[in-house]
Amino acid sequence: MILGKQAIDDDANQTGQMLAALLGWPQATFASKVVIADSKATVTREIDGGLETLALTLPAVVTTDLRLNEPRYATLPNIMKAKKKPLDNVKPADLGVDVAPRLTTLKVVEPAKRSAGIRVADVAQLIDKLKNEAKVI
Amino acid sequence: MAILVIAEHDNAGLKAATLNAVGAAAKIGAQLGTEIHILIAGSNCAAVAQAAAQVAGVAKVRVADAVHYADQTAENVAALIVANASGYSHILAASTSNGKNTLPRVAALLDVAQISDIVDVVAPDTFVRPIYAGNALATVQSADAVKVITVRTTGFDAAAGQGGSAAVESIAAGPDLAVAQLVSRELTKSARPELGAAKIIVSGGRGLGSGENYHALLEPLADKLGAALGASRAAVDAGFVPNDYQVGQTGKIVAPQLYIAIGISGAIQHLAGMKESKVIVAINKDPDAPIFQVADYGLVADLFAAVPELTAAV
Repeated sequence: MILGKQAIDDDANQTGQMLAALLGWPQATFASKVVIADSKATVTREIDGGLETLALTLPAVVTTDLRLNEPRYATLPNIMKAKKKPLDNVKPADLGVDVAPRLTTLKVVEPAKRSAGIRVADVAQLIDKLKNEAKVI
Repeated sequence: MAILVIAEHDNAGLKAATLNAVGAAAKIGAQLGTEIHILIAGSNCAAVAQAAAQVAGVAKVRVADAVHYADQTAENVAALIVANASGYSHILAASTSNGKNTLPRVAALLDVAQISDIVDVVAPDTFVRPIYAGNALATVQSADAVKVITVRTTGFDAAAGQGGSAAVESIAAGPDLAVAQLVSRELTKSARPELGAAKIIVSGGRGLGSGENYHALLEPLADKLGAALGASRAAVDAGFVPNDYQVGQTGKIVAPQLYIAIGISGAIQHLAGMKESKVIVAINKDPDAPIFQVADYGLVADLFAAVPELTAAV
């Protein structure tokens, strides 16, 4: 089962991992390469220090990272064809799933804005500012 | 009830990200008046346990030492955490690739919703987390009995790595589920500081044009400043540098004292990863580049001339 690694809105980065746990399947998150052979999935993952390759028994859950492949965008003819394809609508209740949220959003605020600083004229002024004003070097 | 923090480590040493997770745990613990414990799953990891025992504010270190924890595969580690979860009101890990990989599994097995990537603690059940690539901060309240939380390391001060004297206890290892095997690990070897912990970061983007230019221009500057090297997604996608250099929404979130963005236009996804930096410098030849809107000091210049000049002068 293939999922993206995180949604661009809430950035939670958890659906694939949770699904794998609930199914009792192994997982390979943040995949940049997937090879299926000999009833195993060999998956290269993007991790903090570099890359890691795991061999998973199948079935397994894989979540994708940016460099796995070129996204296949829908073409206009395929968008038209899609309109004729059957759509299966299933309600969570039909599956016996409770989707009541466990997290309540109390409020959403805009973070403190970072305002633009100043333009320096040249490298010498930049170094002067970093040394004497910001005192970071 | 106590608070459990999952150690981030490589069997030889405790990673600094753990200290930020302990910092978040301390903020919760201060409101509840409860103990903080650290759990270590590893193999031959006595040195890690020793380091964890010295972390200020930690009451107990619990160690499961077994061969099948050597690579810390999510399946085995999550099962171990769940088996040891009773007695804990909160389970925390740093929002590293390891923490993000393992903790949602723990949440699912405990039948709770994970609270990802928190940047502040409002109350023991209420947390602040960034959404929409950091363009909004949501305050969320959890109704679950156990709060499973990943911690954005830049949101919390690190606990002191010295001064504690926690008891170290061995706990029984769980079974080896043997569903995921590590084949290989290619870790970027570098004498430079880690991106997540660096005080200064020199970061390069597509404006550098090639991997050769990236290395030739940025490495001497980083070496002189004792800085870590980072990159925008564009530079990683173009193959200039490996994926672990990437700073941004889907890469690493950093907040150094000084962030020098060179040849980076400043896409919103990149800003999401570095806008908490104390001082931001941008060098770009395009005066309208969005990076200048967040930069404290902007230099509109040809980076091929400005960077060597900067390197020579610092």
